[in-house]
Amino acid sequence: MTLWSRIRSWARTTLRRSRMESEMDAELRFHIETRAEDLMRGGVSLEEAMRRARIEFGGVERVKEESREARSVHVFDELIQDLRYGARVFRKSPGFTAVAVLTLALGMGANTAIFSVVNAVLLSPLPYSNPDRLVLVKEVLPNASPDPFNVSGPDIVEIKKLNHVFEDVGGFRVWTYELSGKSEPQRVTADRISSNLFDVLGLQPLAGRVFSPQEEQFGHQVVILSYGLWQRQFGGRQDILGQTVNLDRKPYAIVGVMPRSFVFPLPGMLQGVAADVWVPLGLSKEELADFGDNFSYTVVGRLRPGIQQGQVNADLQLVAQGVLDIYKQWARDANMPLGDFRLGMVSMPLRDEVTGPLKPMLLMLLGAVGFVLLIACVNVANLLMMRSLGRQKEMAVRLAMGAGRFRLLRQFLVEGMLLAFLGGGLGLALAVWFKDALVARMPANIPQFHAIELDWIVLVFSFLLVTLAGLAFSALPALWASRTDFGPSLQESGRGNSQGPDHRRVRATFVIVEVALSVMLLVGAGLLVRSFQRVLSTNPGFRSEHVLTASIDLPPDEYSQDERVASFYKQLMDKLRQTPGIAAAGGSTDLPLLGGWTHAFTVEGYQAPPGPELSLCNHSVIYGDYLQTMGIPLLRGRYFTELDGPKSTHVLIVSESLAKKYWLGQDPLGKRLKWGPPESTDPWLTVVGVVGDVKQGLLETATDAHTYEPYVQLGAPLSLRVAVRGLGDAGALAADIRVATWSLDRQLALGSIRTMDQVISRSTEGRRFVLSLVGSFGALALLLAGVGIYAVLAYSVTRRTHELGVRMALGARRGDVFGVVLGQGLRVSMIGIVIGVVGALGLTRFLQSLLYEVQPTDPPTFLVVLLLLVSVSVAASYLPARRAMRVDPMVALRYE
Amino acid sequence: MDKQLDLLQGTLDMLILKAVSLGPLHGYGILLRIQQISKDRLEIQQGSLYPALYRLEHQGWIASEWGESENNRRAKYYRLTAAGKRRLLAEAENWNRMADVIAGILGTKPEEV
Repeated sequence: MTLWSRIRSWARTTLRRSRMESEMDAELRFHIETRAEDLMRGGVSLEEAMRRARIEFGGVERVKEESREARSVHVFDELIQDLRYGARVFRKSPGFTAVAVLTLALGMGANTAIFSVVNAVLLSPLPYSNPDRLVLVKEVLPNASPDPFNVSGPDIVEIKKLNHVFEDVGGFRVWTYELSGKSEPQRVTADRISSNLFDVLGLQPLAGRVFSPQEEQFGHQVVILSYGLWQRQFGGRQDILGQTVNLDRKPYAIVGVMPRSFVFPLPGMLQGVAADVWVPLGLSKEELADFGDNFSYTVVGRLRPGIQQGQVNADLQLVAQGVLDIYKQWARDANMPLGDFRLGMVSMPLRDEVTGPLKPMLLMLLGAVGFVLLIACVNVANLLMMRSLGRQKEMAVRLAMGAGRFRLLRQFLVEGMLLAFLGGGLGLALAVWFKDALVARMPANIPQFHAIELDWIVLVFSFLLVTLAGLAFSALPALWASRTDFGPSLQESGRGNSQGPDHRRVRATFVIVEVALSVMLLVGAGLLVRSFQRVLSTNPGFRSEHVLTASIDLPPDEYSQDERVASFYKQLMDKLRQTPGIAAAGGSTDLPLLGGWTHAFTVEGYQAPPGPELSLCNHSVIYGDYLQTMGIPLLRGRYFTELDGPKSTHVLIVSESLAKKYWLGQDPLGKRLKWGPPESTDPWLTVVGVVGDVKQGLLETATDAHTYEPYVQLGAPLSLRVAVRGLGDAGALAADIRVATWSLDRQLALGSIRTMDQVISRSTEGRRFVLSLVGSFGALALLLAGVGIYAVLAYSVTRRTHELGVRMALGARRGDVFGVVLGQGLRVSMIGIVIGVVGALGLTRFLQSLLYEVQPTDPPTFLVVLLLLVSVSVAASYLPARRAMRVDPMVALRYE
Repeated sequence: MDKQLDLLQGTLDMLILKAVSLGPLHGYGILLRIQQISKDRLEIQQGSLYPALYRLEHQGWIASEWGESENNRRAKYYRLTAAGKRRLLAEAENWNRMADVIAGILGTKPEEV
């Protein structure tokens, strides 16, 4: 047989199916009638001849069916038939269909939306070329901490020179500049980058060029703009190249513009805030001499093809050895012994750094939303199963008419799929909306290097999910239908109680599964809620209300002398203090919750226990009444005063935990410490006060030791976070800070203006995001479980009306009947609860990293969830039970 | 049971091909011709003829067209195609070889083993 004839036949039969049917009819009729004519010639009557001809011929319908099959169109044909039939069935029961489709759509939509985030964040490659070969290089200082640090500036060149594993190595340091010119001055985020950094990442500028190696040297005033800044600040002007912008009041020539899709650095890299501009690294003479200090440079390496992570780290050990030799040489020259100083280097895939920390959270969300879909599927399976009972007669008739069991099974599958795809379609529409809502609330630590979209990968995922879900929830009813003996249902009068123990058990199992899944999901949500409460009730160590902060960074060239800086800040503080509505004003080099620099120090007479030998603490240099403004309580001694000057004894205020650690049981006042290791030549500082501990990082991280020093003892820092405490709305103080600042320097840009309340809420936004999602999933699960219990019981009561009527006629009281039905519902959900609790005990371990001060087995959480589900079960059982109670025995008995 | 059915089906196909190789026929005519040339020794289930006809047509071995029957009615006539002719030859040869082999086996006498 030729392919052509096969296709032609198929096309003919498919396209002209109705014609084929009528032709087939005509042909068979011709056969039978001609046969009858022949028989009549033998003297038989017309009627008798027709009868015999038909008998000889056999079942016409079966012949037709087999003939259709012979043309191999029947599969497609029957599918259409099944679909049409299914659609009709759904149209006839709009309530059932609406519940099922809506349930599925919610589950499917939520899954698709969450997956679109997972896809964009965890599955998509980083937006650089061959991102798998990009690694970050970090330095390890075993004396200070087992955790790796970023890299010290001068080492970048050495890493590049000494390694054997990288194609190229680039580095950068996060910086900020005051951008001024025609419009209002503003702070921009900048990266000082090595000239080859964009080559390492494998990206070209949209226009212009990257920096040349010469420009990487100190003093070249050239800049590359981000697409965003180019659009925002310059309106996307085409003639931008060669123009200049003022950064810190010095003109920089614009040499390039990066493409719109270029986001760098990404979250996870040091202070991963996408930069507005890039300038050459330009290490100054001081920075180049700053060996083994200031580990603030991020180093990105591109691996040679075929190099494994293990080889990289081995090679980096050699590099670290070489760098250490340089340190030693420098230390000898400077006549400062290095002592037991050690240095290591490690590398980590860029990908892990960027998205690694988000993995547990995103996978947990995906798991949680998967539970919701599972519950939705179980619910729909349950509904389908119950409906299949009502169709026993239909099934029996179809079987008797010659339909194969397979055909019945397929009918269920087709209907299930139809339902799944209806739900999936609506779910996709919901997903668009869910996704937008999700993106709008997404915390900043989730990198959006790819727009979160319902792209083809998400669509394929969604399609597979729909198919799987459809198969899952139609499989059981289908299997049941194909196994059950329908014989009796034909003989029965109508709606006999032939559901059988098997069927009832399956549906009870559905409810149990549903309840168990809900318990697990709710326990997870509950634990997160408890953690969130704990985080919120953590004492941050300061009083956030009425406090507004803003960053000021003075341009170094104009403020090159310490006196100028000091006098600027002193005047600013005075002006602020005199502003009506401001109760206190101060400044600090860093603010609570926003991180800071750790410094090594040595306590006089303190013998360090073995282990990491350097003592580290956060260190803030403060101006004015910073501690009072921030509401950090003084526990002992005094705050700084005007009398603490550069010439008087150098003083220090320490945090409570530092005092406790080093001078436990002693009076910390009058004790001394100095910066650096024991051999350092820094002057001793005398403790004059002890203040409360402040959370410097996230609320849920451990409190670090902290020291405060007055600016007068040091060179005045150019950058300061100014804080003011008002009497009312803190946000309103922004104008006051602006007025005061601009009265001193009209060109100065204020950065990061925010209230401390905002800082706190931003530091918890990630948690809030996760919680709101898991919370809604939990609520949805609870609702679905409630609907499931209700549906099963309501149906069971309807089926048992007769039985209940008999019971009541025999003297059962209404209360008994009520109890029976309620008990049935509660028994089933109790089993589900028990299984769910056991499952939750096993699963919540995986939540550990997302919990704070709450055990995964937190009894109150389990108890609350248990009570919640019991009440939902009672509520869901109540209506059916009441209906059962109101059954009129006379009506029920007559009804049969 | 399945094997028998297969054999029977294959045989019916071959008989149909043979029948229409003698000239175009409608379904009922095919039945009559098979009965005639087999001298009524073969009993053919009338209904089973049509699925076989459709299958053969689908495979391109026979072609059909509507025409006028001897009793002046519209009837569907089947004729052998070129591919069908080749198929019939192949099947006939196959069948004869098989029949020879089977006959040889059944005709074997004890002393020949």
